[in-house]
Amino acid sequence: MWLYALQRFGMALLVCVLSVTVLFCIAYVIPGDPTAIALGPRATPAMREALRIRMGLGEPIYIQLYHFFSSLLRGDLGVDVWSNRPVIDIVKETLPKTMILAVTGLGWAAALGIPLGCYSAIRRNKLDDRIIGIFSIAMISTPSFLTAIYALLVFAVTLNWLPAIGAGEPGNFGDQVVHLILPAFAIGFAWVGYLSRLVRATMLEVLNETHIRFSRAFGLPEWKITLKYALKIAVLPTITLLGMAYGGLLSSAVFAEIIFNRPGVGQSALAAVNTRNYPVMMGLTLSTIFVFTMCTLIADLLVAALDPKIRKGL
Amino acid sequence: MKTLSLKRRHFLAGSAATIGLGMVGLPTAWAEGKTLKIRNYADIQNLDPAFNTAQADAVITDSLLLGLVRMKTGTEWGWEKEAAAEIEQVDPTHVRFKLKSGLKWSNGYGALTAEDVKYSFERVANPKVESPYIDDWATLDHVEVHDELSGTIVLKEPFAPLWTTTLQGWAGKIVCKAAMEKLPDQKFTTTMPAVSGPYMIKEWVPKQRLTLVRNPDYSGGETAYYDQIEVYPIEDEKAAEIAFESRDLDFTDISLSSLKTYKDKGLQDAKITEHPALSYVWFGQNQENPALKDPKVREAIQKAIDVNTVLDAAYFGGATRATGIIAPGLVGHREANLTKFDPDAAREELKAAGAEGLKVKLSFLNKAEWVAAAQVIQANLADVGVDVTLEPLDSGTFWTIGDEKSGNGWKDLQLLLGRFSMNPDPAWATAWFTCKQVGVWDWERFCSKDFDEMHEAALRELDPAKRGEMYVKMQDIMEKSGSYLFLTHEATAAIYRNTVAPALKPDGTAVLWRFGAAA
Repeated sequence: MWLYALQRFGMALLVCVLSVTVLFCIAYVIPGDPTAIALGPRATPAMREALRIRMGLGEPIYIQLYHFFSSLLRGDLGVDVWSNRPVIDIVKETLPKTMILAVTGLGWAAALGIPLGCYSAIRRNKLDDRIIGIFSIAMISTPSFLTAIYALLVFAVTLNWLPAIGAGEPGNFGDQVVHLILPAFAIGFAWVGYLSRLVRATMLEVLNETHIRFSRAFGLPEWKITLKYALKIAVLPTITLLGMAYGGLLSSAVFAEIIFNRPGVGQSALAAVNTRNYPVMMGLTLSTIFVFTMCTLIADLLVAALDPKIRKGL
Repeated sequence: MKTLSLKRRHFLAGSAATIGLGMVGLPTAWAEGKTLKIRNYADIQNLDPAFNTAQADAVITDSLLLGLVRMKTGTEWGWEKEAAAEIEQVDPTHVRFKLKSGLKWSNGYGALTAEDVKYSFERVANPKVESPYIDDWATLDHVEVHDELSGTIVLKEPFAPLWTTTLQGWAGKIVCKAAMEKLPDQKFTTTMPAVSGPYMIKEWVPKQRLTLVRNPDYSGGETAYYDQIEVYPIEDEKAAEIAFESRDLDFTDISLSSLKTYKDKGLQDAKITEHPALSYVWFGQNQENPALKDPKVREAIQKAIDVNTVLDAAYFGGATRATGIIAPGLVGHREANLTKFDPDAAREELKAAGAEGLKVKLSFLNKAEWVAAAQVIQANLADVGVDVTLEPLDSGTFWTIGDEKSGNGWKDLQLLLGRFSMNPDPAWATAWFTCKQVGVWDWERFCSKDFDEMHEAALRELDPAKRGEMYVKMQDIMEKSGSYLFLTHEATAAIYRNTVAPALKPDGTAVLWRFGAAA
């Protein structure tokens, strides 16, 4: 198991390095001069040249890449071209906000989706199963940005129950929770449907397995069979999916951050790409890739820990 | 089962605590009082007036630092004294000033003196400082200090924009010499070492909120009404509109596409304000591109475009047609365009030039209004037999397509939709179209010796009437080149609570510290 964990960790690091290298090369070839954008029309060509040199843009890509990785090893992600703030500070400010949003969005989706899937499987082909099925598909089919806009119009504009913008007062936990409700609702909405469908399908498979039928024959109560034996097995593919979903939600947090004007990695990365603010762009991308890779790694290790078949195969 | 119920109890208790904490948080988050909540279109990047990156910075700097004079709010461009008790132009190259007594710097830096004025202006003018606003003080020789409060600005030669933009703009803001000299490189970005204006920064949460509070050391005369101003950086206009509707904001700019909707649905507790903007939007043609080298072809294309329809599609009737690059209300504004929409003449001219079936590419910024404008232009040109391919570009790419230093892309550039923002002096409109700007910001590669000479002469001409004539002629030269079709100066619109009395410059730019309560 430990060897497997080490191998997976090494692989995750390799994925990070390769992804960042590819993104670095893409950033290098896309058109656009950050000095023109950063300094504006009033800058003289000499000033732009000076900034280009300071940013190291005149050097060949492999030198720039070398500088990037060697700085990274020292924990230095560079400085924001515009405000001269260290990129690491920007990452520290934005990444936790995006991660909290993604965790909350996925958390409420899992809290609702998994029980719904279980219930659907137990009530297979009954009226309530069909109603849950219809709602699940409807939730999956609704684009997240639409959910966000309608949620805003209903709960913020019309009812005035929840705030429309921001991430809440720093240091005020309650206010931050209130500001989290709408964006988390919007990004998690479709996942309720996904998870409920997935759990239903795997549960149905498991409920037909011999050991479950055997338990029934022994007269164990249905709730015990479902929760203690069937769900434990059925939830394994869901854990893998949750790992992937977390990465997906980090991406879909971008629109939520824009619509709800919520500071986070997505909003900052978009601005950085538009302004060709390369240090910020690379810093935020690297942090997102790292988080995503770690999530899939944790999901894999968790599945291995929970599933004796996988554990034995290692 | 016992364990399960305990967990449930914990869960319920936790939920109640969470809700309770939320409720505790609410009064703080939604507290009213003399607090103004306002949107800024971007977060602050650099508050140093020598390096302000955009209006989003300047609108904050305006409340923190004083200038000798300031721009008036209202509907007409003009200036009034701010830090100066007296100021006069004694001859074309000398401006004498005397500061108000008692002006102070925050953080214990003492009085605001003529030495601070000298340091601030000469700093921007110093090429070693590399301020992008060096041209504002292009003719500054030095500032002479007579005593603690008075001095003279000495110019090498007359400079007409001195009063219209330099002194009342970013380059005219006074920074604290003693505080600046303590900083590494004598520069700062978002932490201002000392302020002299009506407000100071209480807290900045990047990308989230900037809070301004009254500066206790301010003694500049007119006081601010609001105890606190919360500035929320919201890039998306639609998001800002929703925030206003949900009462998270008291004032915000709105998009022109929403203006009609707000007017139609009526507003119960809010008002709308509209202002003509200074910026200029034009349709340009790269005259060095082989397909557009013939002036007759460019003129035909000018005539084929129905500007009014373009504006209706892009701005929903919220913007009027421009007659040049200098907006109404400024010296040098032109009364009419030389070119008229005439598709029949365009067809004939294209035929005569042997350019039937011309294929060209139109590059523009990928924003809703530009896409709409480009589609109308595409249809107009298709009507006269010109096949236009649309090339929407993200801002990072678009703003370098005509720049020679950014590669060879400028050679492929053919048609473009351009937009520049403006300061209230015509020199800042014509500055980007001189021969030395070819391949820098002049992407049509328009170059005229007469134009350049007039631009230089107009900078030194202090008689507004004579200056005005020059700028009218310069816009005529631009239009006659066939490379430009002037579209609009755009407009700005804002929405605000009817309890608020906004203070706006003639182009709708907010002057935060002068916002008050409606009578």
